[in-house]
Amino acid sequence: MGLVTSLSRKQQRLTRPIAHYTLGAWILLTLTILIPLFYGIYISLLNINLASFLPPQFVGLKNYHTALIAPETWSTLKLTVLLMMMGMTIQIPLGIVLALALHQQLRGTRIFRSILITPMLLTPVAVGLTFRFMFDTDLGIINWFLGRFGIEGVNWLGAQFSGLVAIVIVDSWQSIPFVMLLVLAALSAIPVSLFEAAKVDGASGRQIFRNIMLPLITPTILVIVMIKVMDFLKLFDTIFMLTRGGPGNATTTIGLWTYKTGFQFLELSRAAALGVIILIITFPVYLLWRKSTKVQR
Amino acid sequence: MKKNLLTKSASYLILVIASFFSLFPLFWTFSTSIKNRVDTYVLPPKFFNFDPTLRNYTSLLKIRSFPHIYLNSIFVTLMSTVGCLIFGSLAAYAFARRPKFRGRTALDALMIAVRALPAIVIVLPIYKLSSYLGAYDSVWALILLYIGFNIPFAIWLLTSFFQQIPLEIEEAARVDGASNTRTFIQVILPLAAPGLVATGIFVSLLSWNEFLIPIIMAGENAKTLPVFVASFIANKNLDWGPMAAAATVAMVPIVAFTVFIQRWLVTGLSSGAVKD
Repeated sequence: MGLVTSLSRKQQRLTRPIAHYTLGAWILLTLTILIPLFYGIYISLLNINLASFLPPQFVGLKNYHTALIAPETWSTLKLTVLLMMMGMTIQIPLGIVLALALHQQLRGTRIFRSILITPMLLTPVAVGLTFRFMFDTDLGIINWFLGRFGIEGVNWLGAQFSGLVAIVIVDSWQSIPFVMLLVLAALSAIPVSLFEAAKVDGASGRQIFRNIMLPLITPTILVIVMIKVMDFLKLFDTIFMLTRGGPGNATTTIGLWTYKTGFQFLELSRAAALGVIILIITFPVYLLWRKSTKVQR
Repeated sequence: MKKNLLTKSASYLILVIASFFSLFPLFWTFSTSIKNRVDTYVLPPKFFNFDPTLRNYTSLLKIRSFPHIYLNSIFVTLMSTVGCLIFGSLAAYAFARRPKFRGRTALDALMIAVRALPAIVIVLPIYKLSSYLGAYDSVWALILLYIGFNIPFAIWLLTSFFQQIPLEIEEAARVDGASNTRTFIQVILPLAAPGLVATGIFVSLLSWNEFLIPIIMAGENAKTLPVFVASFIANKNLDWGPMAAAATVAMVPIVAFTVFIQRWLVTGLSSGAVKD
């Protein structure tokens, strides 16, 4: 009898409506994300210029046409991809190395962990400001340090390649801890018995890494790659602070280019069209990411 | 055994070097912020052998709008965090306790979209809309936007905390006849208090650091600290001392909170993709 009531209670619990608990979140996300998103698509079909007082007109896909034939769209997109690849080549291997070092569970691991994750939490704008004077050509500490090894006077923020390297360095400083934490979580999830069995069989450290760890952390690395792709498409604060996309457009990513189009050249509709283009670029990553989170849940 | 020692010392070496690189920029920012000009622009750089001064901080305080901006940042951060926690915990409760409810898949998809979307795509139309609505340069508009952009993180984090609360406790409350709402407020929320604190800190970090939204949406009245910090590079002659002081002031509250929140960082930043 008691069992029957508790079961029916359980069923009752599962059927008691709860969808209205999400109402607040729905309203907030509709106001701040959905409406602006659709309004952005609408704007992209008009010809709004913030400096013009003429009433906006419907121009169809003209802004998209303009954006797609503009060399800047392609060069900034290429630059974004380049930055993405440079960033991932540095951040993922270093993140893995640090995670492996922390995974040894040596004495003091927790302190090291706290120290190592600090950079990722700091205000990107403040970090950019800090590195801005550290990267100074004449009096910056980085060039002083390099000078002691015979590398003199790198003009970090004033040229394309070195500017990109500087951006990647600062972004890596803040992003490597994130990679490290995710890999560390994946490593901790591997059963200890697996390592012990391998050791009994006489596997070397290298073999353990290649044949046990690497396959088991691969899904996590794929997730990291997806997050990094999204984050590089978003990257704004760091570049804004270090180079403002300069010299010229030499370090301007597609996101920053959209910002410049809208708020420097005041071509709001054209910027909105660029925004939609970014949206379309992000979409496949979004789908993959959704799929992967479902699998892991 | 010998090999073990080798891995051990290699690991230590890596960790020590990495820690040095993690901390050095912070040390350098702080030390620049307490230097006089003569000790700042000099080679070789002065690491410890200088007379500390508070001149840069007082010059920061002399900027008339600075206290207003700092308070703005605190206010916007606090209010948006509270908003995220209230609406986020309600939604998270649904996610944690029901495998299926109306709109679950759609809300899930929308939350992931917020994480994936570059903010510029959203903020640009918001800027245009705000001039119709009179929301430009309003702290309340900032608060609303921060909640919208950060609530997915709050929901993900809180869902994982709520899931850790045993169903039996909840069932006991229900046997006593408590309603959904009463169970939520009187049983679930108190039990999830540590989770609420962790989520609160995490979400407030995101708000505190937010730059793209306020630089577009805030004028003089609603200006927040990151916008103020960024304005230092507008000058042709960069003055490193006050720059470093401003950066320090922005980063100090974060460093203080780092210690509390690190356990939950993985869940928060990977958006529920990786189980801790």
